[in-house]
Amino acid sequence: MNRWYFWVSAVRLAFGQLMANKMRSLLTTLGVVVGVASVTAVIAVLSGLKTKVLAEFETFGASRVFIFPDRPDGVPNNRFGWSDIRLKPHEVEELRDKWPSVKAITPVTDLEATIESETERLDGVSVTGIWPDWHACESRKVIEGRPFNRIDEESVRQVCLVNESAVQELSLVGNPVGQTILINGRRYLIVGIVETIQSRMFGMGGPTAEVFVPFSVADKLQQSRRYFIRVSAMLKSPELAEEAKSEARYLLRRMRGLTAEDPDTFRVEAIDQYIDQFKSLASGITAVAGGVVGISLLVGGIGIRNIMLVSVSERTREIGLRKAVGATPGAIMAQFLLEAVALSFVGGFVGIGIGRLMALGVASIPDAGLEQVYVPFWAVLMSFGFCAVVGIVFGFFPAMKASRLDPIEALRHE
Amino acid sequence: MIRIRDLHRIYRVGVEEIHALRGVSIDIGRNEMVAIMGASGSGKSTLMNTLGCLDRPTSGTYELDGKEVSKMSSTELAHVRNEMIGFVFQSFELLSRQSALANVELPLVYSRKSLSPKARIAMAEEALGRVGLSDRMDHTPSQLSGGQTQRVAIARALLNSPRILLADEPTGNLDSQTTEDVLRLFRSLHAEGQTIIIVTHENDVASYCQRVIRLRDGQVIADCPAHEDEGVRLAGGAR
Ligand SMILES: Nc1ncnc2c1ncn2[C@@H]1O[C@H](COP(=O)(O)OP(=O)(O)OP(=O)(O)O)[C@@H](O)[C@H]1O
Ligand SMILES: [Mg+2]
Repeated sequence: MNRWYFWVSAVRLAFGQLMANKMRSLLTTLGVVVGVASVTAVIAVLSGLKTKVLAEFETFGASRVFIFPDRPDGVPNNRFGWSDIRLKPHEVEELRDKWPSVKAITPVTDLEATIESETERLDGVSVTGIWPDWHACESRKVIEGRPFNRIDEESVRQVCLVNESAVQELSLVGNPVGQTILINGRRYLIVGIVETIQSRMFGMGGPTAEVFVPFSVADKLQQSRRYFIRVSAMLKSPELAEEAKSEARYLLRRMRGLTAEDPDTFRVEAIDQYIDQFKSLASGITAVAGGVVGISLLVGGIGIRNIMLVSVSERTREIGLRKAVGATPGAIMAQFLLEAVALSFVGGFVGIGIGRLMALGVASIPDAGLEQVYVPFWAVLMSFGFCAVVGIVFGFFPAMKASRLDPIEALRHE
Repeated sequence: MIRIRDLHRIYRVGVEEIHALRGVSIDIGRNEMVAIMGASGSGKSTLMNTLGCLDRPTSGTYELDGKEVSKMSSTELAHVRNEMIGFVFQSFELLSRQSALANVELPLVYSRKSLSPKARIAMAEEALGRVGLSDRMDHTPSQLSGGQTQRVAIARALLNSPRILLADEPTGNLDSQTTEDVLRLFRSLHAEGQTIIIVTHENDVASYCQRVIRLRDGQVIADCPAHEDEGVRLAGGAR
C-alpha cells in the first residue's frame, strides 16, 4: 500500500470528510484543542520566563563566584566551631593576592543600623561593608560622586555610599554627595550614589534603602567580633568558573590547614549553578504541565475514537464497496487512521492558535515583565507530534473495526 | 477458467445453520455468457459472491484462472477482486457525491500498478465510452437515469479488463427499456470476448445468454445451453 495515488486519494478523502462535517469535527477535537492550547501557552510562558531570567543572570554577570562559610555535613558540631568556619578578613586578603582566575574580589558583611538625616530617622537599614572592588564584582555602578578608594579603606574613613532609595527615604535635598548622615549616631560623609536595583528576579520586593561603608569601617561597626563575612568575586572570563572554584578550594584549604580527609569548611559557588537550578525548576513545571496536557489529550483522544466509530458505522456501505473493488484491509485501515490523525491535527491547529493568543495575552499583562513570552518552533512540532500519536492510538480501534468488515455484510448494511 | 468443486456455504445465525450451497460443482470457460437462475433463497447470490471472491466457501474448492482462491487471505482476495473480477451490483453501489468518472476510477485507487494520472483518466474515459456515457462523465449518480447509473457501475466493473464480469441481478431495478439497453451492452461485451455471468430470475434476461444454470436449495438442478432450457423456451426461445 505504498503507492502514491492511494495516499493522495486517502488524504483528499480525509479532508473531504472533515469539510463535510465541520461542526462535528471541531466539537470532537475540543479535548485536543484544550490540551494543545494549554501546552502551547505553558511552554510559551516558560520560554519567556527562561529568556528573561537568563538575561537577568547575564546582567548579574555570569562570571561571578561566591564563597560562604559552611559547616560540613555529617561532622559533629564541635569538630569545626564557628571560628574555624567563619571567613576572616586576612583570608580574603590572601585570596585577593593569590587567586589567579579572578580579577576583582571583595569581602561583604552586612549589619543593620539606624540612619539619620536632618529630617528623617530610619531604623534597621542594611549597611554593607565592602572593598572598592565591590562595584566590579556586583556590577553596580556609582552614578554620582565617586566609589571608595584605598585610602578610605586603609584609613578607616567615615565615608559612605547610599543608593537612590536611601536618598529618597532620608529626604535629602539638593546634591546628596558632600552631605553627611548619621550611622548609629556617628557622622559619615556621603561620597557617592549607587544605582538602586530592585530584586526584580521574580518580581518581588520593592527598592529598599541601602548604605555602604568601607569594609574596615563595617569591621568596627559590627557588634560581634565573629561576624559573618562572605566573598564575592568576578572572574577574568566566564569559562573560568570551574577553575576558579578549585583554586579557591585549594587556597582556602591550605590556609586553614585542612588535611586530605577533612571536608571543606566553606562553600564556593558560581552563578552557573543558579542557572542550572532555574533550568531544573522550569523542566519540573514543564513536566507537571505535561501531565495536565496528557489528561486533556486522553479526553480528546476518546472523543476522536467515538466519532471515528460513528463515521465507520455511517460509512459501512462505502467501506463494503471499496473492499469489493479491491481495497485491502490494510488500505482501509490506513484510510481511517489518516482520518483520525487529520481530525487530531485540526485540533492541533486550533489549539496552537488559541495557545498563541493566550501567550500574547500573558505577554501584554502590564508590569508582569513577561514581554518575552513566545511559542518556540519546537513546541509547535511537538504538539503536532502529540496529535499524530493521539490520532493513531485512538483511531486504531475504529480503523481496525473498519478494516475487518466483511465486504458482503458491509454492502448489505442499512 | 472457473472451476468449482463441491462448494458448500453454511451461514450460522445464532445456533441455526443455513445451508445456502450444498455441493455445487461448475466449470465455466473463457468467453462464456452464463445465466444463473433459481427461486428466491436458492443460493444464487451466495454462489455469485463466492465467484466474485467477496465471500469464502465453508468447504470445497474454487479455481480461478488456475489459482486456488478459496483459501486465500483477505488481502490476497482483495488483490484478486481488484485485478481479475468486475462485479456489478443489483443496487449499483456508486459513491453519490462523486462524478461518474471518479466512480469508475475507484478501483485504480487500490491497484497495485502505478499509473500516471493521464493513464488513469484515459482508462476511466475508455470504460465510460464502452458503455456509451462519454457525455456524462462529470455527472454525479443523482444526475443520471437508472439505466445510466447501472452503466456507470458496469464501466467501473470493466475498468481493469477483468477476466470475468459478474452481475447479480443487474436489471432488477430497471424498467424493461433500460433492461434491454443493459443486456445489449452485455451482449456486445460478450461479442468482444468478455466472460460474463449474470444472476437473474427473469427468463427474458436468461435468453440473452448462451448457457443457463438452475439452482434449487443450494444445488445445481439443471445446466444446459439456453435454447435447451425449458423456462427460456417457454418465455419465447433463445435468441
Ligand atoms: N448473511 C446471511 N446470513 C444468514 N443467512 C443467509 C445470509 N445470506 C443468505 N442467507 C441465506 O442463504 C440462503 C441463500 O441466500 P441467497 O441470498 O444466496 O439467495 P438468492 O438465490 O440470491 O435469493 P434472491 O433471489 O432472493 O436474491 C437463503 O436461505 C438466505 O436466507
Ligand atoms: Mg440474491
